[in-house]
Amino acid sequence: MNPSTPSHFRRVWLPDLITALGLALAPFILPQLGFAQDTINRILVLGLFGIGFDILFGYTGLLSFGQAAFFGTGGFVAAYLMTNNIVPNVIVSLLIGTLAGALIAIPVGLISLRRTGIYFAMITVAIAETFFFLENSPLAFLTGGENGISGVPSPSLDLGFVHFTVTDGRSMYVFLAVCFLIGMMIARRIIMSPVGTILMAIRDNPVRARALGHAVESYKLLAFVIAGAYAGFAGGLLGVMQGFMPPDAFTFDTSGQLVLQTVIGGSATLFGPLVGAAVWLYLRDFLQATLHLGAAWKLVLGIVFVVLVAFLRRGLIGGARDLLAYLMPPSKALTVYPAPLSPLPLPRTREAFSGPVLQAKSITKRYGGLYANSGIDFSVNEGELRAVIGPNGAGKSTFFKMLTCEVAPTSGQILFHGRDITGTDVTDVCQMGVTKSYQVNQLFPKLTVHHNLMIAALGEGRGRFRADMTRRISHVPGVEARIHETLKLMHLTDKSETPVSDLAYGEKRRLEIGLALATNPTVLLLDEPLAGMSPQERAETVALLRDLRVGRTLIIVEHDMDAIFGLADKITVLCEGKLLAEGTPLEIKNNKAVQDAYLGGELD
Amino acid sequence: MAKNSDTKNLGLSRRSLLKSGAQLAGAGLLPVALARNAFAETYPALGTFPAGSAGASVFVGLTTPLTGTYAAQGVDERKGFELAIEHLNAGHALMKKYSPLTTKGVLGKQVTLGVADSEAKPNTAVQAQTRFITENKAVMIAGCVSSAVAVALNKLSMREKVIYLPGISGSNDTTGKDCARYSFRECHYAYSAAAALAPELIKTFGKNKKVAFLTPDYTYGHSVTSSMQEFLKPAGWTTVTDQVAPLGTPDYNTYLLNIANSGADVLININFGNDAVNSIKQANQLGILQKMKLVMPYISPFLSKQAGPELMAGVYGTTEWWWTLSQTNEMAKMFVDEFKAKNGYTPEWGAHAGYVQVALWADAVEHAKTFYPPEVIKSYESGRKLTTDMGEVSWRAEDHQLVRPVYIVKGKAAKDMKSPDDYFEIIETVAGAGVMQKPDAFGCKLGSAT
Amino acid sequence: MLSWPNFVSQLFNGLALGTLLALISSGLTIIYGTLGVLNLAHGAMFMMGGYAGFLAFQYTGSFVLSVIIGSLTVLLIGVVTERLIIRHFYDRPPEDQVLVTFGLGIVFVELVRLGFGSLARQVNPPSWGAGVVHLGFLFYPAYRLELLVIIALALAVLYYILYRTQLGMIVRAGIEDAVMVDMLGINIDKVFMLVFGIGAMAAGFAGIINAPVLALTPDMGDDILIETFVVVVIGGVGSFPGAILGGLISGEILSLTSMVNPAYSQVMLFVVMTLVLMLRPQGLLGAKSRT
Repeated sequence: MNPSTPSHFRRVWLPDLITALGLALAPFILPQLGFAQDTINRILVLGLFGIGFDILFGYTGLLSFGQAAFFGTGGFVAAYLMTNNIVPNVIVSLLIGTLAGALIAIPVGLISLRRTGIYFAMITVAIAETFFFLENSPLAFLTGGENGISGVPSPSLDLGFVHFTVTDGRSMYVFLAVCFLIGMMIARRIIMSPVGTILMAIRDNPVRARALGHAVESYKLLAFVIAGAYAGFAGGLLGVMQGFMPPDAFTFDTSGQLVLQTVIGGSATLFGPLVGAAVWLYLRDFLQATLHLGAAWKLVLGIVFVVLVAFLRRGLIGGARDLLAYLMPPSKALTVYPAPLSPLPLPRTREAFSGPVLQAKSITKRYGGLYANSGIDFSVNEGELRAVIGPNGAGKSTFFKMLTCEVAPTSGQILFHGRDITGTDVTDVCQMGVTKSYQVNQLFPKLTVHHNLMIAALGEGRGRFRADMTRRISHVPGVEARIHETLKLMHLTDKSETPVSDLAYGEKRRLEIGLALATNPTVLLLDEPLAGMSPQERAETVALLRDLRVGRTLIIVEHDMDAIFGLADKITVLCEGKLLAEGTPLEIKNNKAVQDAYLGGELD
Repeated sequence: MAKNSDTKNLGLSRRSLLKSGAQLAGAGLLPVALARNAFAETYPALGTFPAGSAGASVFVGLTTPLTGTYAAQGVDERKGFELAIEHLNAGHALMKKYSPLTTKGVLGKQVTLGVADSEAKPNTAVQAQTRFITENKAVMIAGCVSSAVAVALNKLSMREKVIYLPGISGSNDTTGKDCARYSFRECHYAYSAAAALAPELIKTFGKNKKVAFLTPDYTYGHSVTSSMQEFLKPAGWTTVTDQVAPLGTPDYNTYLLNIANSGADVLININFGNDAVNSIKQANQLGILQKMKLVMPYISPFLSKQAGPELMAGVYGTTEWWWTLSQTNEMAKMFVDEFKAKNGYTPEWGAHAGYVQVALWADAVEHAKTFYPPEVIKSYESGRKLTTDMGEVSWRAEDHQLVRPVYIVKGKAAKDMKSPDDYFEIIETVAGAGVMQKPDAFGCKLGSAT
Repeated sequence: MLSWPNFVSQLFNGLALGTLLALISSGLTIIYGTLGVLNLAHGAMFMMGGYAGFLAFQYTGSFVLSVIIGSLTVLLIGVVTERLIIRHFYDRPPEDQVLVTFGLGIVFVELVRLGFGSLARQVNPPSWGAGVVHLGFLFYPAYRLELLVIIALALAVLYYILYRTQLGMIVRAGIEDAVMVDMLGINIDKVFMLVFGIGAMAAGFAGIINAPVLALTPDMGDDILIETFVVVVIGGVGSFPGAILGGLISGEILSLTSMVNPAYSQVMLFVVMTLVLMLRPQGLLGAKSRT
């Protein structure tokens, strides 16, 4: 028996069962609350549309205002195929529409994902408007222009033993509910897969995600394509649901409403868009049909919306969770951490190579007319613990960034195992086994400690990019073991399930080092690991650094001279961007030039 | 009234007994009050029938744009519908002129009107009407200000087997390639407008003119333009430019400059709603209206009120109806008076179309003596002559287009206006039959009623 | 219509169109640059400017007076909106800011619809703006020529405020480095309120002076909004000179492409915007840091 079975059931299958139960009960409960059957069906379609968008926006942090492009594309492709009898099978047409949404998302993503934030949002708007124009004008002979495509057939399934034909709103609901359930099950597995974890990492800290060996751009594109596929599928369902594929599917309003419903419901919940759509459509009907507000319905809905955005910071689901947490504070149960699931992976296979593991040849970095580093030669041997010191402004951080290829040198070369890696990106360098912990914490603040370390540990077994969207993380070899080991090393085991934002400063510092460590590097660079720690934490960390050097090459920038002189095999001194001296701690202590440099500045 | 409906029901039940005696062998024993149900059972359930007409009242669903670009026309249209339903329920004299069999309500049932905002979006309209059909069991749905919505609801009416009355819809498609057995269009449309207007233009301006078109970029716009071109071509009129602008263009100057530099004699502007107002206003400022004659083949309601007589003077166009008909027609006068009394302004053609559609629907249902849709459709298709404020009209059975006159109007200068709303002079009333295409010319296939 | 007279006319028309877009966009861009808020209610500000001017014109009958009253009204609306609502969103994620302004946009539009109805309202050009001006083969509405001058003046005033006053210095410093301005202990609250007000007023002012060209309807701001987005992105988000350059480029694209195929002119705008972003991601005159 797999020891994880019960928790796996609880985490994965139980929510699916609850979702299925909810979907089964909804048509009996919602009408009592005044929901029309057609409204319920629409909510499901919009909810499905929203699942993909939530993966893109809620989990990956990419706010697109152009999802209408894929909704419309999928819908019109599916509707065209069905109504022209090219692909009479409704399900197959829907799947082709889904594929169309996904495929069209690739070029759109390649263009729009070059930018982030508000620029990204605006490019998506522009591209979606272009799609609307294409549908409405040059492609009107296919799409019917402003008339859309009518006569989209209802699905009819023959599974051999049971024949299911959609005839009315109720049976349509059954069909849509099954679609929604499948869509939700897939989405939940994506979120729980390694890909889902990395998407959240990108949302919280793209810079660090990149430095931990994940090809951020590829994962963003993947999220964009997933959202495109969901949009395409939902678009097709809209046509099937009402027998008519409306041109409005392509308009800015469609994209805008999607964002609206997601935020009202709560983003990064997957169910948020469904809840948001329910509230939005219900209020719309209620204000018009029950309160008879006439044209003023929109004004009231606008006000309600502004109030919701103002007071519910995390949407309705987020608000409900907060309320629940307030009413029922979580019991301080011990976080029982499961035993390692599989043995630790073997150390990275090293290429047969003798000589310096990491080498810099005359590297220079110039910012405008300012030289941050000039002509530094540097070489570290396998298994060495090297310290890099220097007064403030000596260019240590820039030097470190060049070693890990975060910034490219203006001139000079960087060699890893004798191979020129100059100009390689930081992701590849991490994949080779060289990584760095940061002077200023670069964590994933919304996620737990465990999740943070997982992001780091995933790089090793999966490479820079892999679309293993339905794989369980526990099935990625070595990940849980690596997290477990790192937690223990960094004394964070009992904080495993704590969100990073709740950690004390010293704990955050330890996690910062732990992130770098969890990538299982052969060369580990630490940028001021002791900064901001209490004396006791310092002592602990120094002891830790001693343990870490077993089987690794360590390069440390540090201000704490006492610690460094006791630790390092060799010390490199930088001053004003140049190499000042290099030698054993004793040599450095007695070096005249070093003493002068520090007398001019600070002497620790 | 009660007596009236009782006798009617009796008569009907007798007929149904004859139809299927075996089935209803026991029905003869039923008290008179229950005979009505017996009758209903002779028709199979279809769409919202019989559920929609089982109670003391029937529900009618209306979607018009109340917000968004076409809200002005939508609100007016809504008021026309509301007045008609009110008249229907009260058994008003005007309603009885349209539908002589009407007493109060329809088949003795009061009519409830549900209204929803379509925002002029097909998807929203379908959504709202579906709700009216499934939740309120609407026996008839109505309303639109754009043909995109009309076509979408045409299809919905076929799917749900509920009668649909479009409202304002000028596209040839509505009773052409996208026509529907369940849908009946009252207003004139691109083709009939063009066919009626072209001879008048040729007569007024002469042969061999150069024309510039300003066309909104959607199927309706293109169909008006091509219809106009078709009818003007024989007289040697040539198109020097066709400026196609997206809907909702804020600034037409770009397009108008191209027109100004095209050397055209006549500007034919197809735009509708606010787009029409803006394009005319900007054309005037560019001095185009001094150089070219402006023609609006399909004048949108309130265009003159919004643009003002200084822009509309001398403009040629067609309209579904104009209120000055009330000076010569008693029914039109009653409509204008009633509408003004209720709403405080002079109705335009959206309101008129709304009213007339409801009245003719009531007439069709009364003649069918049932709400069973195929029977109502049969009644519509019977070719019966109908009395309206536009004179005698009739439904064309093949495509469900009302055969009705097209009014050619010319904008009055401010000095010639006798009252604040006296913007147009009706210069010609063109009989409907002569300006319609052959029923199948646009590929109309009505589909089945069941 | 490819001909020399038409080409020159369109070139000139592009300039006129461009300056108007530049004026509206500059309001959007300084708000975003300073406050970091993408104001989706900016189109509604443009619309409310028009209606405020219309109302003022009904009472005063003076076009100039309406422009002044209308502008001040929108300034006030902007300031109040910032005080009551926008202020509470500065520490919220950008999507919340976008959404609250989106919601406010709906509220403003529907409030105006409630008050004025949906029928288009007209403001006629002032007497000094009637008629058509002929410049050789080029002819153009007189009011639009004057509009060009008025907008150029308005942009000059904005330039003066941004580059020659203390407020402007703070605003520009804030665009480059908001943290630094904060550290200098400047009363950023007041600055933000004023910037939002001035940004809104730029749109409102454009709404009034453009009212004689464009009939007033509650929805009139919707279509303008997306065009101003494009302008701002082409020019560089947060850059005042960028908004002007972006406006002029957009105006010319709309005008010149219409000669070849008018149906495609609006789409060309989006194509050009995408191209600009691919080649120069921060926009033509945008600062690299604001991306």
